Amino acid sequence: MSERRARFVQTTVEVEGRTETRVVELPAFEPAAWTAETPLSIVGTSPSRVDAFEKVTGRARFTADIVRPGMLHAVIVRAPIAKGALTAIGLDAARTLPGVRAVMGPGDAPPTTRLFRRDVSYAGQPVAAVCAESLDAAERAAAAIAASLAFDLAPHAVTVEDAMAVDAPAVRSAGNATAPDVVERGDVTTALAQADMTITREYRTPVALHSALEPHGAVCEWNGDHLTVWESTQGIFRVRNDVAKALGVPQAKVRVLKDYMGGGFGAKNGAGAHTYAAALFSRMTGAPVRCINDRQAEQTDSGNRPATVQKVTLAARRDGTLTAIVLDALIPLGISGWEGGPAQVFHELYACPNVRTTETSVYINASGMQAFRGPGYVEGTFALEGAMNALARELHIDPVALRLKNLATRDQRANREFSGNRLDECYAEGMKRFGWSSTIHHLPSTIGRVKRGRGVAAQTWPTGGGPPSYASVRINSDGSVDVLAGTQDLGTGSRTILAQIAAEALGARLDTVRAVIGDTERLPYTGNSWGSMTTPSVGPAVRMAAEDARTQLLEAAAQMLGEPVESLTTHESQVLQSPAVRLPFSELCRRLGNVQILGRGSRGPNPQHLAIVTVGAQFAEVEVDTETGVVRVLRIVAVHDAGRIINPVLAESQLHGGIIQGLGYALFEERHIDRARGVPLNANLHDYKVPTIADIPAIDASFVGGADAAANHIGARGIAEPPIIPTAPAIAAAVADALGVEVREIPLTPWRVLDALCQ
Amino acid sequence: MLLEMESSGAAGKISVAKGTLNHCRERASPNAAVLCRTLSYSVVLCHYCAMRLTVNGSPRDVDPSRSPTLLAALRDQLELTGPKLGCDHGECGACTVRLDGDLVYACLTLTAACEQAQVQTVEGLAQGATLHPIQQAFITHDAAQCGYCTPGQLLAAAALLEGNPHPTDDEIRTAMSGNLCRCGTYPKIIAAIRALADAAGSAP
Repeated sequence: MSERRARFVQTTVEVEGRTETRVVELPAFEPAAWTAETPLSIVGTSPSRVDAFEKVTGRARFTADIVRPGMLHAVIVRAPIAKGALTAIGLDAARTLPGVRAVMGPGDAPPTTRLFRRDVSYAGQPVAAVCAESLDAAERAAAAIAASLAFDLAPHAVTVEDAMAVDAPAVRSAGNATAPDVVERGDVTTALAQADMTITREYRTPVALHSALEPHGAVCEWNGDHLTVWESTQGIFRVRNDVAKALGVPQAKVRVLKDYMGGGFGAKNGAGAHTYAAALFSRMTGAPVRCINDRQAEQTDSGNRPATVQKVTLAARRDGTLTAIVLDALIPLGISGWEGGPAQVFHELYACPNVRTTETSVYINASGMQAFRGPGYVEGTFALEGAMNALARELHIDPVALRLKNLATRDQRANREFSGNRLDECYAEGMKRFGWSSTIHHLPSTIGRVKRGRGVAAQTWPTGGGPPSYASVRINSDGSVDVLAGTQDLGTGSRTILAQIAAEALGARLDTVRAVIGDTERLPYTGNSWGSMTTPSVGPAVRMAAEDARTQLLEAAAQMLGEPVESLTTHESQVLQSPAVRLPFSELCRRLGNVQILGRGSRGPNPQHLAIVTVGAQFAEVEVDTETGVVRVLRIVAVHDAGRIINPVLAESQLHGGIIQGLGYALFEERHIDRARGVPLNANLHDYKVPTIADIPAIDASFVGGADAAANHIGARGIAEPPIIPTAPAIAAAVADALGVEVREIPLTPWRVLDALCQ
Repeated sequence: MLLEMESSGAAGKISVAKGTLNHCRERASPNAAVLCRTLSYSVVLCHYCAMRLTVNGSPRDVDPSRSPTLLAALRDQLELTGPKLGCDHGECGACTVRLDGDLVYACLTLTAACEQAQVQTVEGLAQGATLHPIQQAFITHDAAQCGYCTPGQLLAAAALLEGNPHPTDDEIRTAMSGNLCRCGTYPKIIAAIRALADAAGSAP
């Protein structure tokens, strides 16, 4: 139909805090937005996950559960040194070991894969790989190769101080640090000079590891010149493109499949060494090859949240009005990584005319960073909110009152309105649920060794999502419905909410709708599941495809019934005219036979004049044992504004997940690298401490509700990343409240707490 | 250090009564040895000592020399992929199964030590098409996000409730603390167990 012909327009999309400009399709029609008043019967309710049965019965197949006929097993050999040149490697001996089918070392992989280089620049860097008939045989051969390695050691730097020292060893030939990235609005120098008061604090945050329980992994199988990749990934199309580029094959010859995955949290956004090794070995041997990281590799070389050193200065009037915000940050990225550190939140969370941020990224001899849930904002918010809480104490102003006084009412970076921002309501609701007293905080108790304290912190995070994203909705000849979208479900629940959106738009029963995802060859394109983008990106495309299918279904029904199409509607998988005329989808489709209804949807551009963010506030209460230094979090109250919530129970689970990871970041999680040898000391799940069930507090997590009809036509923004952002600063504020002493470096381990008490 | 070798005809002729580990060790020939890589010590077995155990109620035979750990035997030989490999060091609990009713980390359990044992994996929790109550409670309370740790969590929860039908929240936290979840389902795991504990009525 001619009116469905699209044109193409330029739009901007924010991904993980980075703004990208794209030319995208402008759909010729978009459905009217679901507003807060639109009556919806499936969206906004909490049916169980559509894949819950598979998950509780062990039937859900993860990448390591994939078995292919004649499958071989690959293991990667990693460098045990931080920097140096490989001088000896015993590949030939490994080739003769029982069960070994192929071996690769330096020079054996295409340079585009960056695999198996002789120059080693971090511990854990792949130097060789082996492929064998069993995992045991592959591991033994890998151990033999590892024992044969010899290196010319070179000086390394694994701390920011060592990398920035005058006589620092060259981590990268182009220099150990990037040019400082300075972003300023207003006139910070004058504002500082004229301020009633200023405070300056230095904060330090650790390297945190994603620690998904399912390690990175892939199964690769060539069939002629066609490669199939099963991969645990947040981005099937990106894996396809990475593999095609690295191996020099057309994208159309690579098919990437992902059914279930055991968490990602930002570390699984593309192909990795394991993918390339499996694909290359499969091509060499003609057999399918599986390559799964072991836990040590996973905790060593599969991404991390980089550490930061952040010096923050706040200037304010006596009444608490912020007049300047200054950040100087050093970010040791590892050997590689993208810039986009802690600075952005300093420009966004508070109304302030004068802001200057300076970020310097530093390269160190450690595995490169990857995006980790709320990258940059988690680190930056810890420092900014720590400083805000310190300012509140200095000014004797309630920390919530200080925040409300400086609430950002518009996007100051792009000088535009928010599509919706109800952070003030989040504070109000959070205070009510928490029982926050609106007075200035009590003085720390001087009685007893266990002190209690309370703290608050807020967050903002760009969650508009955006194009391109496509979906199809297919109504089968039995009246059941398939949602076809090449997206991923990391455990977030996207399968479920996309089915809910389609059922709602189509007027179908949810139990007749199936979401088919995770296949680059047979499903329409959607982007990576990162940046809290899947719901606001794919959701509108699915809704549009379902509306398109509904229109076609009604046109067919109108012909069959001899009734005007305007008189018909759909509800619970039936076409209705009046109570007397009911035509079930199953009957309608049976009569249609092989005439198939196939709806098509795409995600339109974002409203360029609006900033789209998810915001929230979290309140923490802690107990600190002043003799042992142990911090116990008693409770967290979280209230966030993410627009429409498609499935409240699943969204609550997302909040729980972010808060618990934030608690781990605040109290336990820290990668340790031995400074002298440059190798990781806690690359496992015993010494790298993620929270256990025994560590978690009472959590009251909720949303302010409503819908953001200005953001997109389903009214929903993203929610995956926001809840991790304010947890650590809220806990740190509560500890400072309990002790009367700020602990400005996380994790808040007992020795750091005791050290602060001794100052 | 002993390495696994291809078994020769001679090894196949060794007649070994199925029995204890020691029995195998005494009689096995040098070419019928296997290195248990996970635990870094050697266990010597008859190479053809196919071993019987009962898995989810059915007798099954496995060859422990091909799969030193119970987790590998279950996943690779019996194709029961419900138990997951998360760390291979008994740190995460994703491989949790029940061995004669006890919870064990299958990644740290020697296959050879499981002869005649009763093993239950997540695949054996449901009775036919009827889910075990803890499975249903996990669905109702959204206690699985990605689902990778879920099989282990379910077995740990089922074992807890069998031994203690009315656990306190503290008892739930203690009993479940050997199973990590990175997605953060802990509050909902507690809710699911709590619901069953409360539904069981007052304690006798």
